[in-house]
Amino acid sequence: MAADWRDFYALTKPRVMTLVIFTGLCGLLAAPGHINPVLGFAAILCIAVGAGGAAALNMWWESDLDAGMKRTRHRPVPAGRMEPTSARDFGFALSGGAVMVMGLAIGWLAAVTLAFSIFYYAWIYTVWLKPRTPQNIVIGGGAGAFPPLIGWIAVSGHITLMPVLLFLIIFVWTPPHFWALALFVQIDYAKVGIPMMPVVAGERSTRRQILAYAVLLLPLTLLPWWLGYTGRIYGVSALALGIVFVALSVKVGLRHSRGNDDAMKPEKRLFGYSILYLFVLFGMLVVDHVASSYGA
Amino acid sequence: MSQPLTPSELAAFRARQRSRSRALALVLVALVVLFFAITLVKLKTERAGAGRPAPTSTGLPLTGSQGGQ
Repeated sequence: MAADWRDFYALTKPRVMTLVIFTGLCGLLAAPGHINPVLGFAAILCIAVGAGGAAALNMWWESDLDAGMKRTRHRPVPAGRMEPTSARDFGFALSGGAVMVMGLAIGWLAAVTLAFSIFYYAWIYTVWLKPRTPQNIVIGGGAGAFPPLIGWIAVSGHITLMPVLLFLIIFVWTPPHFWALALFVQIDYAKVGIPMMPVVAGERSTRRQILAYAVLLLPLTLLPWWLGYTGRIYGVSALALGIVFVALSVKVGLRHSRGNDDAMKPEKRLFGYSILYLFVLFGMLVVDHVASSYGA
Repeated sequence: MSQPLTPSELAAFRARQRSRSRALALVLVALVVLFFAITLVKLKTERAGAGRPAPTSTGLPLTGSQGGQ
């Protein structure tokens, strides 16, 4: 069966890409300096295409595992709509193309950072960490933390403390976000032998760690304000958003599930909120930057 | 050896191939437009940079008496 264009599009994990594009764009808009809109568009496109390439490589490598999980068995390769080699070639083509265009159009520091982020996700996370350690999400979270850093470099041409803080915010946000999901889909991960935290360390330990990361995230998101990189709009928003995040994490962290009958509502609520949290937090970063540019 | 496709399977196969080719054509056209736009911006930036007076070690442009022959 010849794969449809929709199958290739599905390989890029479009829903994850939404967050990648958004955080990359926020990094680009919040950075000091100016970038031509055409080059800015090209930079965001390269970040998105690079992320899509890494996702395709992930789906190629994990097609056997995907076939064993309800959530992923309908993906193009495990469903038999596409040859695994097509997914692999597509992933390499997107990744290589994105890095090349980024280097030629924007600059080689941004291109090297993009190349490293693809390598980080496709190899360090997918091939190396994910099947070996329950800390896979913690270290692998770095892969999703690169977009704002690359967006920032695209404008400024160098790395400073502020984009590193943006990187760290997404890095620390990832474990509570993903483990909340892993708590209500843990049966699937256990079936294919992926050492996800709830499977290996148990639910109780995972819940405590979700809470610990949420508590750590709050002061981390306030650091840009305390250090004077952002203004009050961002600071107050980060504080309010963080308090809600911690409150929802407390509900998840201190409860015990009631077995198969448990609807896992607090976990689902935390997972949903964590996505909204990151969108609003980074959105406020841009609003704050624009407001300070106009002297508000 | 694989079974030959039935007429309806062949039609579905061709339809998928066509949709993929159309999508690829669209992507290629979009890339041509993007590369053209990037080239224009780069040329404009370079030309603007070439027209600017050369900076000195103090960061200030050379005046006629400093930089002239």
